[in-house]
Amino acid sequence: MTAFLVIMLLILGIPLYAAWKGEHIWSKMLAFASIATKAAIMILLVSVQRDDWMIGIVGVIILSVGNGALMLLAQILRRLRDVANL
Amino acid sequence: MILQWISYACISFGLFLWLWGTWPLVGRRSPLYKLHFLSVSDTLGSMAIMIGVLLRIPREWPLLVLALISLALWNTILGYVLAYCSQGEDTDG
Repeated sequence: MTAFLVIMLLILGIPLYAAWKGEHIWSKMLAFASIATKAAIMILLVSVQRDDWMIGIVGVIILSVGNGALMLLAQILRRLRDVANL
Repeated sequence: MILQWISYACISFGLFLWLWGTWPLVGRRSPLYKLHFLSVSDTLGSMAIMIGVLLRIPREWPLLVLALISLALWNTILGYVLAYCSQGEDTDG
């Protein structure tokens, strides 16, 4: 189980690198969306390994909130671009 | 014992999907291409991992099923919103 977590951490590094390198705002948004989902799944895996369900509830809440803020940010970016193009 | 094996297989399959989906993110492709790979792999990969985890501890299954459903729901909607918002621009995609 710990090996899985280590692999997950390494996989989490790829979108982090992509977010850092991302030259375009939308590739950064993609990277952060993927980081959020992966982190939530990792939290759940840690809670299963430790059998401590307070952490598990945090993971479930993160998943059920489901990047709502990121969707709002995407809408704002789109409105900004539409206003800029007027 | 078999259950242990199946859950490990599910989790490793989910990890493989994660890796497969995250790989193009570093590439030079347009955001839409990356988005497709990413949302497909993230949703399915995470669901495979969740099923693998579910097999390990049936005691907390309502919590994990809730996470599974909300994950499937929200990830697809997020993919749709990001695709919708990143479209319709004159600069390079």
